[in-house]
Amino acid sequence: MTAIATSRPVGRTTLALALPLLTAAVLIAGWHAAVVASGSDLFPKPYEVVNGIVELAERGLLVKYVVASLFRVTWGFSLAVLVGVPLGLVLGWFRPAYLALNPLIQVLRPISPIAWIPVAILWFGIEDTAPIFLIFLASVFPITVSAMAAVQNMQQVYLRAAKNFGLTGLPLFARVILPAALPQILTGIRIALGVAWLVVVAAEMIAVQSGLGYLINDARNAGKRYDLVVAGMVLIGLVGLVLDLLVRRLERFDSVRWGYGQR
Amino acid sequence: MGLWTVAITAAHGFLNLDWAKRFRPDPASAAAGNHEKFRVGFLPVTCHLTCPVTDFINKQLAGENLFEPMRFNGWPELKEAFLAGRTPATFLLAPMAIALREQGVPIKVVYLGHRDGSAVMVHKDSDIRRMQDLRGKRIAVPNRYSNQRLLIFRALNDAGMRIEDVQLIEMPPPDMPAALFAKAVDAISSGEPFMAQTELDGYGRVLWLTKDVWPNFISCVLAVHEDMIRDHREVVQELVTGIAKSGKWLDQTMDHRMDAAQFVAKNYYNQHPRLLEFVLSKPPDRVKYTNLSLRRGDFEEIEKLGQQAGILKGTARFEDYTDCSFVPDESAIPPHAWPGLKK
Repeated sequence: MTAIATSRPVGRTTLALALPLLTAAVLIAGWHAAVVASGSDLFPKPYEVVNGIVELAERGLLVKYVVASLFRVTWGFSLAVLVGVPLGLVLGWFRPAYLALNPLIQVLRPISPIAWIPVAILWFGIEDTAPIFLIFLASVFPITVSAMAAVQNMQQVYLRAAKNFGLTGLPLFARVILPAALPQILTGIRIALGVAWLVVVAAEMIAVQSGLGYLINDARNAGKRYDLVVAGMVLIGLVGLVLDLLVRRLERFDSVRWGYGQR
Repeated sequence: MGLWTVAITAAHGFLNLDWAKRFRPDPASAAAGNHEKFRVGFLPVTCHLTCPVTDFINKQLAGENLFEPMRFNGWPELKEAFLAGRTPATFLLAPMAIALREQGVPIKVVYLGHRDGSAVMVHKDSDIRRMQDLRGKRIAVPNRYSNQRLLIFRALNDAGMRIEDVQLIEMPPPDMPAALFAKAVDAISSGEPFMAQTELDGYGRVLWLTKDVWPNFISCVLAVHEDMIRDHREVVQELVTGIAKSGKWLDQTMDHRMDAAQFVAKNYYNQHPRLLEFVLSKPPDRVKYTNLSLRRGDFEEIEKLGQQAGILKGTARFEDYTDCSFVPDESAIPPHAWPGLKK
């Protein structure tokens, strides 16, 4: 019994590492074969992309660009959390506020950040503030909507219990509503972080001179440097993976964990 | 989270924003900082080459430049930054400058960016040899306001063809080489170096260079906001004179052009120097940077073709959208007194 209990997690970890690596290996081999078969020298082979990344590292650009993109996403996303969570909680709790603002939010939500580029340039110019604004816009709506839904879908039994204990006002909010909504809010935040990182390419189409999105736009201007275009894509993907792993850790806190099923 | 925000902000500041310089200001740059530099927008294309060349040579000669060249990645953002007043001066497509004037933007064209410097390329395997062979084919152009589109109109007029005979597709120039390679389009036309790139990489063939169809063709101009001219005339004068001197310097010797290919490719365009070397030398009159003062006849031809192409209404006149006073006599302007990189 104990032997099974200890050996199972080890087997799982190995499998959890081996399976994705196997998928990646198959995909990379297929990529290489497809480029060779096409006979084109425009689209880079996998090792050329690795060389591109090495070249970026040697020129000192790799760290610079990753930092620049993370900087913009950090600020845009943090502002979105600071605005989105309270706004969503208020909208979820006060019905008049919901009636007044929800249609507006639903109108703004589907507009792509790319469409906002002219507005961002007009309002914020060509500094870092413009891409931060775009990232904020892309991530604030998923956060607001998830916080709103979290409060609205809260189980009535929590509220009734709270009322029986005589909780009202701020204590009710802090001790019942927020904890009850937190798991769903965190799911919204996790999705929003993915979206924030997703729009980094679009946000860096403005005149900024650094970042992974800039790297892609710049490489398109540089003639036949599609190896760097794909290198930018790969780096965005890898950083995105790390970000997702980090946010998943948030879900392990006890104040959140209860909200998830036991799987 | 707070710690992360502080750390990433500091890292970005020091790695990308030169904060180290800001915290340790040396007297020279502090004095220069009193006078806020204005920004000039440009794209990494040879049509805008005089912008980085002026910046580089000014820095070599005087240690610093009076303006800050601001690189963009595409026409829409370049134009929007100008409209928003973030770049009081910018390199811009000539028909777009005229169209903006018609739409009430206080814009003045003060000088040309270049002459010639475009081409129509076809795939080397195709049997398109003359304009007539393009009947029913797809041609990529950068933008509806681009002069390349007007160039196609003129070539069609000359060949006795109509615009309905070809299919024009708008496409960002950086994407054109790949589109031609994949034979997604039959012909491409944009500013350099994207045309030369297809030739260098061995799948593009020149159908014709602009100089063959429309000698002294203009595609990009230096445009300035009227407020800038009113409030800082002397700064604009210095900019235009610098641009004019750079043009003269570029056309002075082939060595100068090869030097420019090196320092512009490395410091401003992030392209391979070989590409710019090719554009600037094969043939040498592929693109020209002299004879750049504004001439009424050139612009009236653009107005006429622009109306035919449906992008201009004909409501703005040459006097409205140009200010020729900065270079009354181009022949009086000497090239930059800079010997180049090697000496």
